[in-house]
Amino acid sequence: MKRLLYSVFFTAVVLFLTTSCTEEQDFGQIDDLRVTPTLASGLFYMESDEATINAAGALNSFYSQEINFDAFNEQYVAERLLEGVISYEMDNTTSKELRIIIEFLDEAGRPLDREIFTIEADPSETVVREVSYGPGGKSIDILANTSSLRVLANNLGDGTSVSSAEDPKIILRSGAEFLFELQ
Amino acid sequence: MKLMLKLILAILFCNASIFAQNKELLYDFYEIPQSLMVNPGVKTSQKWHAGIPVISGLSFQGATSGVTVNDLFANDGVDFTTKVQERLLDVMGNKDDFSSTSQIEGFNIGFRGRNRPDDYYSFGMYGEMDIISYWPKDLAILAFEGNGGNNIGRNFDLGDLNLRGEMINVFHFGINRKVSTALTIGARAKIYSSIFQFQSINNSGSFVTTLGQNNIYESSINADMELQTAGVKGFYDIIEEDSGTTQKDVTSLFTERVLLGGNLGLGLDVGFSYELNPQTTITGSVLDLGFINNSKDIWNYTFNGSTTTDGISVFLPEDIDDVNNDLWQELIDDIDEALPHGENESSYISWRPVKMYGSIKYDFGQGGGSVSDSCGCAVNGGSGGGSNRDYYRNSLGGQLFMMKRPRGVQAALTGFYQRRFGRVLSIKGTYTVDKYSFTNIGLGANVQLGPVNFYVLADNLLSYSNIADSHYASLQFGFNIISWNGN
Repeated sequence: MKRLLYSVFFTAVVLFLTTSCTEEQDFGQIDDLRVTPTLASGLFYMESDEATINAAGALNSFYSQEINFDAFNEQYVAERLLEGVISYEMDNTTSKELRIIIEFLDEAGRPLDREIFTIEADPSETVVREVSYGPGGKSIDILANTSSLRVLANNLGDGTSVSSAEDPKIILRSGAEFLFELQ
Repeated sequence: MKLMLKLILAILFCNASIFAQNKELLYDFYEIPQSLMVNPGVKTSQKWHAGIPVISGLSFQGATSGVTVNDLFANDGVDFTTKVQERLLDVMGNKDDFSSTSQIEGFNIGFRGRNRPDDYYSFGMYGEMDIISYWPKDLAILAFEGNGGNNIGRNFDLGDLNLRGEMINVFHFGINRKVSTALTIGARAKIYSSIFQFQSINNSGSFVTTLGQNNIYESSINADMELQTAGVKGFYDIIEEDSGTTQKDVTSLFTERVLLGGNLGLGLDVGFSYELNPQTTITGSVLDLGFINNSKDIWNYTFNGSTTTDGISVFLPEDIDDVNNDLWQELIDDIDEALPHGENESSYISWRPVKMYGSIKYDFGQGGGSVSDSCGCAVNGGSGGGSNRDYYRNSLGGQLFMMKRPRGVQAALTGFYQRRFGRVLSIKGTYTVDKYSFTNIGLGANVQLGPVNFYVLADNLLSYSNIADSHYASLQFGFNIISWNGN
């Protein structure tokens, strides 16, 4: 009798352990996961003193350079780029009006887009521009196909005056915040 | 990326769903021979025992101190990305972990010394897999949210990456000695035969993007990180080669490593049981005081250095004559140079996760002769005549478990009650509090039918109504043949 009782107890324990249950799980949900980080980075910084601008002369270009820029057209990045904003800030404490042009070029050197910044002589306010790409903004393909940047800086003023400001300069800053779809 | 994410989540949750280390139900459950494996100084009363090969002792434990499988994968109609954000990223900290341990006994044999009946010798072999991965909170947030938006200025701690895992085969030999009527001590020597080991446990560094001094954004990284692996590359090479004999080659390498053909180590377990008075016993043990010398098949990856960047910079007049248009590539090269990363084959020592148990037990409800009256050994059994070796039906007590983990000591406190029903059945109930659960109720049963012994021990029973929602799950069971009187 005792053995029977023990057997029943033992069976009950085993049954209890083996009949544990779980709510329905759907592991296929992992395919619905969207990983979309926002990445931020400084892009291009340019600074020039007034002497360099004067040395180039009036109404002349004081800097012109084509720079290889593959940040966005790497296949992995280009395929996952969703949208973003490039921010520009420009300060001018020199005595002349200046213009900076940034052209986005494809692999064949063809212009895809350009940003033109013109800033008054000192005193002038900081020029701030935010350019959106993707939905509601410029085509994201511009960035995805950009292989290099052409930067052209022009003096729109004279080539002799010197600003009374301390250490007069033209400074262009730029940075980007972009949304990527990694998954 | 998708595959990587699936792999990471699969590893985390597969581990969490089947495997932990604390064996509070088995500890001091001296009717079960495998209790010698968690305290070599436990009271023993059998003449000999032999575990039925492969099924004498199987234990699977899994734990997660944060999110559960159900939290993420329940078919509840909530968007999966939202669940990951709200239940994983917003909730879990870098002290939360996913951990798992599984053990399978190859064989386990014990016998009492013919000339020294106070000694009980045991030896055997078991395989063990132990993996712990702390939640890499900052790295996960960096991957999911990025360094932009609200994370500008946030310092991402690269030290959040902390994981360790190994699979080993253990050969052991232990001596359990009754020193006096009150004191039993024991020790077990172990040889570890490593199948593989990996660890990334001493990482440090940070990554931060701030509003720059010059440019709009400035990103800084400093890193001192290393992943050490031993025994992994051998398997990786076989699978990578995919020669058509992959399965055979993997089996062959696995077998070689199991049988002392890989990296080796040494370890020691010690323990004791001491009767404070006829009804009160204290016990303690320290397990896996040991190490493995990893010198074969090493494959380490290092990443260290520091740098700050704000993008491409042009300063005039300094750069006016620089007609190089590869400034972007130069920037990448500079970053690469400042952050050297590479592989090496430096050997290293890996320490076993040391475990410690302590308990105090009060016996009551005298039930007559000892459970081992007829064992013929007259050692720890009742026929020795000590009052505490009388058979008590009930035991009540508490246990403390502590384990060394990469981020400090992990502790668990257990209260237990054990009831014996003659020689045939003994059951033990436990309530355990630890970082994984405050509602961990466990139940274990040991059944002795003639010489055949069967035990089953299961933790966190309340979670069995929905095992996927459990932070902790554990199951141990096994079969033994035990002789009390030479049969």
